[in-house]
Parts: sequence; C-alpha cells; structure tokens
Amino acid sequence: MKPLILVIEDDPQIQRFLRATLAAEEYRIHESTTAENGMVEAAARQPDLILLDLGLPDRDGLEVIRRVREFSKAPIIVLSARGRESDKITALDLGADDYVAKPFAIGELMARVRAALRRSSALALDQAASAVHFGNVEVDLEKRIVTVAGAEVHLTPNEYRLLQVLLKNAGKVMTQRQLLNEVWGPNQVEQAQYLRVYVAQLRRKLEKNPARPRYLQTEPGVGYRLVIESTE
Amino acid sequence: MVYLLGVVAVSSRSSRATAVFTALASVAAFDFFCVPPYLTFAVEDSEYLITFGAMLVVALVISALTSRILAQSKQAAAREARAQALYQLSNRLAGETQVFDTARLAATLASEALGAQVVIFLPEDDAISFRRRTSDQLPIPITEETIANWAFRNGRKAGRGVDDLLNATALYVPLRGSRKILGVMAVIPNQASPLDAQERDILIDLFANHTALAIERTLSHNAAEASRIQVKAEQMRSSLLSAVSHDLLTPLASITGAASTVREQGDRLSPETRNELLESISDETERLSRLVANLLDMTRFETGGFELRRDAYPLEEIIGTSLHRLDNLLKGRELTVDLPATLPLVLGDEVLLGQVFVNLLENAVKYTPPGSPIEISAREADGMVEVQVCDHGPGFAPGEQEHLFEKFYRSRSGSARGAGLGLAISKAVVEAHGGRIEAFNRSGGGAVFRFYLPMQPLPVEQPA
Repeated sequence: MKPLILVIEDDPQIQRFLRATLAAEEYRIHESTTAENGMVEAAARQPDLILLDLGLPDRDGLEVIRRVREFSKAPIIVLSARGRESDKITALDLGADDYVAKPFAIGELMARVRAALRRSSALALDQAASAVHFGNVEVDLEKRIVTVAGAEVHLTPNEYRLLQVLLKNAGKVMTQRQLLNEVWGPNQVEQAQYLRVYVAQLRRKLEKNPARPRYLQTEPGVGYRLVIESTE
Repeated sequence: MVYLLGVVAVSSRSSRATAVFTALASVAAFDFFCVPPYLTFAVEDSEYLITFGAMLVVALVISALTSRILAQSKQAAAREARAQALYQLSNRLAGETQVFDTARLAATLASEALGAQVVIFLPEDDAISFRRRTSDQLPIPITEETIANWAFRNGRKAGRGVDDLLNATALYVPLRGSRKILGVMAVIPNQASPLDAQERDILIDLFANHTALAIERTLSHNAAEASRIQVKAEQMRSSLLSAVSHDLLTPLASITGAASTVREQGDRLSPETRNELLESISDETERLSRLVANLLDMTRFETGGFELRRDAYPLEEIIGTSLHRLDNLLKGRELTVDLPATLPLVLGDEVLLGQVFVNLLENAVKYTPPGSPIEISAREADGMVEVQVCDHGPGFAPGEQEHLFEKFYRSRSGSARGAGLGLAISKAVVEAHGGRIEAFNRSGGGAVFRFYLPMQPLPVEQPA
C-alpha cells in the first residue's frame, strides 16, 4: 500500500498545492487544519509521515511534535516561515526529522519526503551497511577507511567520527547541538565553532569544491545535512 | 649648617618625633666632633652652650615647619583628588547614555571621594523603590525605604545626621533635577572617613547636584534619541512604500500574466512556450522572495528592533550558503572562490553576513554581461578579514561610488531592476559588525566591492 501522509496545515492555498502534488506522486493523504485535530489524527490513523506547519491557529506546532513523539516514530517534516531559525532548531531537537522553509519549491519538499520515508523504512529493517559511497567518496565502515576517487584520505579521529554520525543520519538535518553531543559528548554542546571548523576540514578533504559543497550541506543557523543521494 | 640640612631632610620624610630626635642628635654630634675638646661631649668654652641652644631651636623650628608644609601638601593632594573625582564625574557622565549606568558610575565616584558607601535609588512609578538601586547588595535595611521616599517627595535630606531620632543607617539626599526630583542618594558614612563633617556635607551636596544634572541630561538625551529614531522610521516607511510598490508589482504582473496564459491556453501552447512561461513564474517568484527578505532585514535595521547574533564562522561556510541560495541566478557563471586555508574565522551573524554576499553577488549578476566571471577572495589584513567580490562588468561611472550605498539608489547603467536596497543593507550589516565596505573600479576593468570583518583565530585541535 502507498504511504499515508498526514498534512497539518491551515493555509488553504498551500494545502491545495500539497494535495495536488502528493496525489500526483500517488501518496495517500489526510488533512488537518488545526493542531488539536492533527494530534488526534496522528494517533488514530498512524500515518507514515507527517507534514506539519508550525504556525497553526490553535496551538504551537512545536507542541504537536512533542506530543506526537510520545506515541509515534513517523518522520515529521516541518514547514516553517523564513528567519525563524530558533523554531527550526527547537523542532529538530524535539524530534522532527526535517524542515522546509516557506516559500519552498515543491521539488525540494518531495525530495525530503522521499528521503524521510526511505530512512524510516531502512531503520525498520535495521540495515547495517558495511560500506557507503556517495559521488567518488567511499567509506568502509568496518575498516574505517575513506577514499576519494580511489585514493585513501586520512581523517583525524574527530573528523571520522563526525562523518560517521552524519552518515548514520544521512539526508537528515542534524542540529549543531545534536552533532556536538554525538561527536564530542554532552559537555561540549556549546562549542559550535569547533564543529564548524571540523566540517570545513572535512569538506576540504571530501568535496571537489568546498565553497560549493555537494554533500556536506550547511543549514544556516541550524546545522548540517549530509546529502548522499541525488535529490532529484 | 650641614646638620640643619639633615634635619630638614629627615623631617620632610618622617614623623615629628623622629625630626626632634634628629635635631638633638645633630647638636650632640656637632659638640662631639667640632667643639674642643674633640671626640668628647665635654665643652671647654661655655659660649658653645648658647650655640647649641640656638642650633637646637633652629632645628626644631625647621622640623616643625617642614612637617606642617608636608601635612598641608597632603591635604592639598587629597583635595586635588576629590576635585579630580568630581571632574571625572561630570566628564565621564556626559558620555553615558543609560540612566542606570550614569547613576552607577556616580555612586562609585561619590563613594570613592567621600570614603563612604553610596547607593543611588531611582524612582519607579513616582516613588523610590529599593529594587531600582545601583549596587548588587542592599547595605541598608529595607525599612528605610520610607525615609528615602520622604526625602524623595519633600526634596529634603533625611535620615542619619539630619534626624537622629530615626536612628537610620544612611543619610538620604534627594537628587534634584530642574523640574523634579530624579532619585535619592544614600550615604552610609564610614567611621574612618578622612573628611571632617563640614567638608563632607559640602561634597555630598556637590555630588548630589552633579549626579542629578547627569541623570537629567541622560534622560533628555534618551528622549531626543527616541523621537529621532521615530521620525526616521516614519520617513523610512513612506519612502519604502513608494519605492517598493513598484518593485513588488512588476514581478507580480509577470507572474499573473504567465500563470493566466498557461491556465487559459494550456493545450494550445507549444511545450517550449509553456516551459518558458512556467520558468518565468518561478524566476520572478524567487526574485520576489529575495526582495521581501531584503525589505524585512532593512525595516528591522531601521527600526532598531534588531540584534546581531555573533559567533565565529569559517568564511567558506557563509559563502557556500549564499552560493547555494543563488544557484539558479548563478547558472552559467564562472565563479571562483579563493580563500587561504589559514584564514581566521570571521566573527559575526551568519544569516546577515550571508545576506551581504547574496546582495553583492546579485548586484554583480545584475550589472555585468551574462556569463562573465565573478571572483570572491579573502585574506587577513591588519587584524581583520578582508573580503573582495570582483566582477568583469563595466564598473562604476565617475561619481557613482558616493551614492552606491544609499537607500533606493539604482545605477544608471544597465536596465537593472530592484529596490536599490541591496547595497544599503550590505553596508548597514558590515558596519553593524564594526567593519567597513568600499567600492572601486579595478585596473583591468570591472567593479570591486571590498569589506572588512572582525576575525577570530582558528581554534586549536580539541581532543575528542
């Protein structure tokens, strides 16, 4: 059966074009226009994915994430207004999987939806790959060897660990806090500039053009995302 | 005479008793060494006794005089120090803009000069509240708030030294402004204060006056500033409206036109035309959203409701994000980014700095022939990071540089559209970071925008 997507969004225009596109991709859709109703539907219908607008009329969308996460692991993609970086970070730290800033192009949103669905089904199968490759980068997770275009690249332990965490969450936005916590531990979560410097180093080692990264993308004000498959 | 010099020397450096001892010792030494029979204290000639007497008197008088002069000069120095403190007060206070800072500074200076603890209380809803005070701790029992309020309402001193029946810890002095009482200064005298009571009272009055003046000046400065900002915001709003309505309507018109064509003649259009129309819809939409983003930034800047979120970033990352945002616009452009690997981090607000690059690149695309290359480079220069965005277009016309960064300015060359806000915002952002931006033509042709940003050294490797 096709995946069921719950759309919690109050703006009729956005709902209209989401409905059209999602239906064209043959997803099943259910729509809610309030936070209250959205939470009820999320519990009752067990959707495979939730698209959630943060600016809902009745309640804060962040609360929806908190409540839904109490009973559901379905990926949540947040639709948020421009410039509300702190909302995005809170949403991700609360357990949202991704966000798309309004105004957004539909192609971008659909790519995120596909990636999130793929991740959650891969997670369900608990696939543990022994090697990953993206572009001309090859990562051997067992031997901890990274090669770029066939040539081995030396990564420092911190760089490797950062890459590992990003690979484990490939396609997903990781907040700075989440990355710092996983790589350096809970005492270093305020040291965002170390993270930035390590990401820059990693880019210089893996990317062809580090100022226009293809894989290690920045989500300004929020964190980083490792894109390992073509989003088209 | 040599002995007398010794007396002067000693008495000018040490206490009165030492000076007297030196005087006696010098007379004895004179007797011992210079009066026959030598090397004994015995005296042959009785006339020498008179000499001794005279010497002793002279020595004592000299020592007394010297120590008095010394005491006077010490007092003078103390007075000088107090005058200095007052001078500092009026001088430094003039520059302070916040009332609380002013009061806090005044309290510190007064406390130093008076050798007493000084706390200044500012009113809240027309009454003195001990919560609005200049010190962290409250060295006065909270019950004395009533006394402070009495002084505030009646404009007269109260408490310790004025009405001893109250048994108050502090003396409360109203800070009298030209129209109303602005606060209360509490003085808690220190037993060991070097000042006598009269001198202290004069100083307290002086400090109260100066502090009141300074607070008043700060208040009126703030009020003037507030109204100035408001006037500016009003002007901004009206000029924005007129300039922006045009720039918003143009892309909207093409979007509406293209969308309605596609809807009404959908099937009759050739696939190419259809695609072209759809593309123009999305291009124009992108332009609209950049314009709106700029407008939002600008109004935030102008109305002052705006805060820099500073942190240290690799410049490469900020540039990368901006390039990503402009992917469509930059299609078909050769763009090189040249950054040394050792470039320090830039210290700033990543979103706003990203906007600077977006605006400069958008500008470069707008004013240069399609397909011409654009270069971004940076280096460390004089403790700042110097960034350059260069293009290969026609450059600036003579005299144009002066107006480039003005709001709503649009270059005469080219048919470029836009609200003329991009460069004004870039300038505002760079300057808010404590940097500066300049524009010039480069020798090989083309325009260069160069700006400086504060930096932070690269962090050293952190063990995992």
